[in-house]
Amino acid sequence: MRRMVWHNFTLLLGLLLCMPLGAQSGDKAAIREGESLFRANCSFCHGFDAAGGGRGPDLTQGRWLHGGSDEAIFRTISQGVAGTEMPANPFEDSETWALVAYLRSLNHAATTVVPGDAIAGERLFFSKERCASCHMVKGRGGHLGPDLSRVGAARSLAYLTDSIRKPNKELSLGYTDPNNHYGIPLEYDTVIVVTRDGSRITGVAKNEDAFTIQLLGEDDQLHLLEKRELSEVRHERRSLMPAYTADTLGPLELQNLLAYLASLRGE
Amino acid sequence: MTLRRICGLLLFNLPLLAQVTNDRILNSSQEPQNWLTYAGSYQSWRYSTLDQITQANAASLSARWVFQTGSLGQFETTPLVIDGVLYGTGQDNRAFALDARTGRAIWRYQRSLPDKVQACCGMVNRGFAALGDRLFMATLDAHVIALDSKTGNVVWDVTAADYRAGYVFTMAPLVVKDKIIVGISGGEYGVRGFIDAYSAATGQRLWRFNTVPAPGEPGHETWSGDSWKTGGAPAWVTGSYDPELNLIYWPTGNPSPSDYGAERKGDNLYSNSMLALDADTGALKWHFQFTPHDLHDYDATQTPVLVDTDWQGQPRKLLLQANRNGFLYVLDRANGQFLSAKAFGEVTWATEIAADGRPVIAPGSEPNATGIRTCPGALGATNWFSPSYDPQTTLLYVSSSVECDTFTGAPQKYHEGHDFIGSIYVPAKGEKTSGAMRALDPFTGQKRWEFPYTSPPWCGALSTAGGIVFGGDSEGNFIAFDALTGKDLWHIQLGAAIYATPMTYSVAGRQYVAIPAGAALFAFALPEK
Repeated sequence: MRRMVWHNFTLLLGLLLCMPLGAQSGDKAAIREGESLFRANCSFCHGFDAAGGGRGPDLTQGRWLHGGSDEAIFRTISQGVAGTEMPANPFEDSETWALVAYLRSLNHAATTVVPGDAIAGERLFFSKERCASCHMVKGRGGHLGPDLSRVGAARSLAYLTDSIRKPNKELSLGYTDPNNHYGIPLEYDTVIVVTRDGSRITGVAKNEDAFTIQLLGEDDQLHLLEKRELSEVRHERRSLMPAYTADTLGPLELQNLLAYLASLRGE
Repeated sequence: MTLRRICGLLLFNLPLLAQVTNDRILNSSQEPQNWLTYAGSYQSWRYSTLDQITQANAASLSARWVFQTGSLGQFETTPLVIDGVLYGTGQDNRAFALDARTGRAIWRYQRSLPDKVQACCGMVNRGFAALGDRLFMATLDAHVIALDSKTGNVVWDVTAADYRAGYVFTMAPLVVKDKIIVGISGGEYGVRGFIDAYSAATGQRLWRFNTVPAPGEPGHETWSGDSWKTGGAPAWVTGSYDPELNLIYWPTGNPSPSDYGAERKGDNLYSNSMLALDADTGALKWHFQFTPHDLHDYDATQTPVLVDTDWQGQPRKLLLQANRNGFLYVLDRANGQFLSAKAFGEVTWATEIAADGRPVIAPGSEPNATGIRTCPGALGATNWFSPSYDPQTTLLYVSSSVECDTFTGAPQKYHEGHDFIGSIYVPAKGEKTSGAMRALDPFTGQKRWEFPYTSPPWCGALSTAGGIVFGGDSEGNFIAFDALTGKDLWHIQLGAAIYATPMTYSVAGRQYVAIPAGAALFAFALPEK
């Protein structure tokens, strides 16, 4: 409680001085300290350089779902976000302000306006043989790929473009957070298994260990297999998603699709 | 009641009344039904002469009982078993005594911990030490305590250091004569490491060896400026003991901050070293530093394994250590002489270990602001979980990680009790991490077999006279391997990553193997005939 009072006092003092007290925008030492703290504490979810990881959104885009003022970002870091995977973090206030300074130093100009027709993009997304055969948005769609219900809040347009044009570029490799050993690694690698009778199943491993594999096949079925019953388990180290080149997805279609994806903010 | 019946009862009850003596610990191989120390013996072989479970029958192992601690988090204990009673420590400094045959609790203990305890890697504890009718535990708030083994009541409780500055205990103490030896953790918080000896009778501290020398002490010149004050070199894994030489062998961890060295120039003694300390006085007899001026968090906190055998035709007292830095070392433990080091996984930070035991650092392996890929990763080619030395196969079984990391380094301000790492490491981009149980010839470095794990393991190895090596993986499988071939003879899915090393004991003629996973301790045995 004492800390709370002190915190409020420092905020008040900051307001009185008409400057973001701790954010120390542009303060090189604070940014460097913030970067170090970020990498040690935040990078497992938000990615090494804050551009988004397996679980946490991209923080470099200037799009803040839970308030974009220095004080709001401070609060998000220190108190976490109820109902999400973002926990409260017991940093010293000076450290939290250093993190705010670091995040501010990364922010490009917020690109809130995405050119393109989001409604046409949505139509494309759900059209036959397109994205929704593998990706789900708000309960609609397939199972093989990641759920995209919040992808507009979590990923930059550049990342989304790469994911569509070059899906193998950033393959999620299923790192497990060392502090969350009950987690199942997120992995979207293509796995091909061959059974002893010679049949092949291609899919994504929902989980795997030395003895078993739990495969979600391209047939949208779960295949629960023991490796001793298989003659081969091959990890292709590529995405199951086809690369949509300009031939299969024209520039206008891409723009519309991006506009739709950018609108998906889990709201 | 006949005299014969009374005598029979007395005989039956005698073991339950027996106390743990120094002689019993020294001769622990004479009573394989018990497990009297963390690593099974002073030589830390983690080998048992129990041979009821064999290659031929291991496939019929099944769970005999499961004990729930009531707490999640990493459950890292190696239980002790003394005359039919199993004593373990749990997460958050819980502890318990169980009927080792049924798993029924005799008592439970939980220490109230202050809010601000900082443990880098979980609120863990790796086990008790035992002497007389007492159990000794080193706690997360940096106390050393003695519990009465029949009741769990606290007999004494002493403060070793200030937990608010990042000092915590996680290892199991080691009993040597009348002393309780402990080593501190806190290499992520810029502590100044130490190894302490306490009187088993009173809790009075009898000696302390500071692992970072103060001004005027030998080795201080290996630290630039005031960096020694926050130099780390913790001592967070239980050591071994040679009663003939009266030397304790205790390994130390990384210098702080682990990934940034510009403000701690020099070799940073005695970080990442093996220390040979006089058991009576704590005086340093010799030291060997595996990774001078470490920049990759290569704590040398792996169990020292003591083996007496011929080395190049001469009988010698050897010390084996499969080190986190990726090399398997052989030292002469009488004098610390370096004898050999062989890589047992991919190593890129050093090109070789020179004839004097000093690594030849690979150019460009120093962490920088943008990141450098280096092998092994920061969690090492192996880590704190125990290896096992099997005198029948003369192999060292080492649970190993296969991971290279991108290391970055950056200056970091020291705040008491806060992370002091100097930036961070992440798995190298685009590379899948994995692991393996490996059987190594410690004298040639040759790998005899390996069993691949899907991800880096945190479960050590136990070998037995039945020709079995027990191990486990982070996917939750507990596995019995053929010690000679690595074939998996049996496995069971326990539902949580295993962060512990197995042990074995026997009660009423039946051999059990115990392993913690998740919130539970499991005991396996063969079916009753």
